[in-house]
Amino acid sequence: MEKAAIRFENFGFQYKVQQEPTLYDINLTIHKGEKVLILGSSGSGKSTLANCINGLIPFSNEGTITGSVTVNGQETRKASIHELSKMVGTVLQDSDAQFVGLSVGEDIAFAMENEAVPRSEMVPVVYRHASVVGMQDFIGAIPFDLSGGQKQKVAIAGVLGSDVNILIFDEPLAALDPQMGQTAVELIDNLSQNGDHTIIIIEHRLEDVLHRHVDRVILMSEGRIVSDSTPDELLQSTLLHDYGIREPLYITAMKYAGCSIAGNLNLCDIHCIEFTQDNRKKLLKFFDGEPSVPEPCTDEEVIRLEGVDFAYDEGVNVLNDVSFSIHKGERIAIIGKNGAGKSTAAKLICGISRPQKGKISIGGKDAKNLSVKEIGEHVGYVMQNPNQMILKDTIKKEVEFALTVRGTDPDEIRERATAALNACSLYPMRNWPVDTVSYGQKKRITVASILVLHPDVLILDEPSAGQDYKSYMEIMDFIEVLNREYGITILFITHDMHLALENTDRAIVFSDSRVIADERVFAVLANDEVIRRANLKQTSLYTLALRLDLPPEQVIRRFIEHERSVKTCE
Amino acid sequence: MLFVLFTVAIIVTFDIRVLLPLMAFPFAAIISMKPNYKPLIFLFSFMFVTVGIIGTIMLLVVSPDVGMTHVGSHTVIWQVTDRLYVTKETLWYVLVTFTKRVASFATVIAFVLMTTPSEFASGLSFLHMPYKVCIIVSLAYRTIPDIARRFIDIRNSMQMRGVELNSKRTSLGKRLKYTGAMLVPLIISSFGKVETIANAMDLRGFGRLKKRTWYAEHELTRADRIARAFSAVFAAAILFYIIYTKIINPYPVTMWCPFVKLENITKINVIDTIFFMKWFD
Repeated sequence: MEKAAIRFENFGFQYKVQQEPTLYDINLTIHKGEKVLILGSSGSGKSTLANCINGLIPFSNEGTITGSVTVNGQETRKASIHELSKMVGTVLQDSDAQFVGLSVGEDIAFAMENEAVPRSEMVPVVYRHASVVGMQDFIGAIPFDLSGGQKQKVAIAGVLGSDVNILIFDEPLAALDPQMGQTAVELIDNLSQNGDHTIIIIEHRLEDVLHRHVDRVILMSEGRIVSDSTPDELLQSTLLHDYGIREPLYITAMKYAGCSIAGNLNLCDIHCIEFTQDNRKKLLKFFDGEPSVPEPCTDEEVIRLEGVDFAYDEGVNVLNDVSFSIHKGERIAIIGKNGAGKSTAAKLICGISRPQKGKISIGGKDAKNLSVKEIGEHVGYVMQNPNQMILKDTIKKEVEFALTVRGTDPDEIRERATAALNACSLYPMRNWPVDTVSYGQKKRITVASILVLHPDVLILDEPSAGQDYKSYMEIMDFIEVLNREYGITILFITHDMHLALENTDRAIVFSDSRVIADERVFAVLANDEVIRRANLKQTSLYTLALRLDLPPEQVIRRFIEHERSVKTCE
Repeated sequence: MLFVLFTVAIIVTFDIRVLLPLMAFPFAAIISMKPNYKPLIFLFSFMFVTVGIIGTIMLLVVSPDVGMTHVGSHTVIWQVTDRLYVTKETLWYVLVTFTKRVASFATVIAFVLMTTPSEFASGLSFLHMPYKVCIIVSLAYRTIPDIARRFIDIRNSMQMRGVELNSKRTSLGKRLKYTGAMLVPLIISSFGKVETIANAMDLRGFGRLKKRTWYAEHELTRADRIARAFSAVFAAAILFYIIYTKIINPYPVTMWCPFVKLENITKINVIDTIFFMKWFD
């Protein structure tokens, strides 16, 4: 019998400030050297479970524990957070906030500094740990110059203490772009194979984690463990659908094609999945047939960029000869890795920055002559983090804010605010204080506060970041309604390929400060060259197409088409 | 340490013969580090305009005879009106004080460029500050750029919603009001970070032992020992200089001036030498 690294027995936990327990009846044993994924939507208790292992519970977050949890045979309650930190390394979700040092080396050394290890002993250890994650050439770098993925690597190196044999990753993919996310998954996998580390990954993005092998998946919902199985078993069941977790795209495709999922081997890896004869036939039949040719959009142009150059510092162009136009009522994804220039393009459209060369037209007028405020009446920008936008204390005041500062007539303010609140289904909550609502609702508030200005275009920066599948779907449905019923043009700035695939018609791809593609979404996603240059990740549909010897474009197009018809039927 | 000594020396002396070599040190230090000169030049020219030009004009207008009290003679070179005139001594005084300011400024810059904040934090702990205080200093440095970035984001989003922050179109009062409003999201989003940072530190054993070590700390190298010896010598020299000029062989006035002969000094300013505060002009 393998030795248990972590054992929960009839475990329950209730935060001091909450009425109901967050965890109930947890019985779980994780063996040494295992690699376990804890899956669940927001609020399912998966992070709380991890915090019970690393000692943040009960030492930093107080509450009542029932039952027992042991780490390497030691009851956590009787240990201290410091003793536990020597056995359990935790990488938090926010790779930026957990970077406490002023340089890479310092951050990696932080735990050793706290142990009062002499500096001469620290230096070689820092180098060794940095090499494990491939950051040995960046030891002197400051956090400001690092990408999210690099910061995360540093965080991993920082918890690789000598006795640490359990590693917890709390939503390691949340802040990373797809390519970096894939690298992170590979790095975690290397750690689990080289050392004898027990690895616990907490995520809701199943498909991305399954990029590499996982021993076991534990599905949580509402504070309970609802399933504890191998990935294959989980994929064959209907649990994912029942508990609001996004299943891998290729599985969805197989279900659309009417395949029976149960009979296939190696279901969790699209590269070595073994299709049964029957399923292969069904898939081929499903993807066969010429999809209808979409009509090009010929409505009036709302935004047009012509040969735009932009640089923050002289000589280093962030945007290089960028041209594209956006028509009324379109849904567009602006994709590219972090730092490729997509956010800068959005800033230029909003007038926050002005181009050094080239021309931007908004609603047919030259943006040069428009102030930020005037552009704001045509183009609304919704930031990624709603907490950075909300200024007022109640929902109604927040939504009315943009009109109040313009000195609009009070009757008109009321009328327009009511309309915006209704469009976002917030009207019944209008007098609620802003800080009592959920993250997804806050996002709605920020959209409503822009909608009162009746913009033609809405720019949404990373709308899917930091949200589970369920609230992501809610927001997308809501945006879809805005687009369909109010004819608002939607621009998503994102690196989420699923989002682009399911919710947009056209994709503009940025790479190294240039636009490298501006085409229909399926064409972009089927173009391996573009995806590689933009440092994005292929969706599993592409791989599925290769496995079936079909042209990827046809497969992706057929899939989108089918999915949209399914959606309209609902 | 050398930095503190330097500052003291520059504040104490009014003698340009001492000031000029003192000034050379920090400049040499700055140049040896090959920094990014652009912001530095901006800082220096900013200082030159405010302290140098505006300060001089104000001084000439308000008390044209200030040189008299410091140098001890009175040679008018340009009489504008009865109340407004320029004396050689005042010009000299202006030159010396300006040199002094440039020198102290350069020293500060050299110090800032030389030390990374974490070296500063570990240096503080070397001076027996409790390490929790030191880590706060270091964390503050760490988070300032992040907060600044977030502030810019918030300001941008407000502008897009129609808040006019352009100084030409809005009154100062209104702009202040909106800047105040911006603090709400800034503080709220920063609080979230604080919790994560605290957790991240707890999880890596922060605060377990009474003491901690510093990765950024330097072991004493030979250069450090030399620097220390040098500082000691330097401190002694300054002390001697103070004692010599003020007590053993007091120079009659606060300032040495090349074109004023000792016997020409008409006014002896004893009070200045007693009230040491005068040095901090």
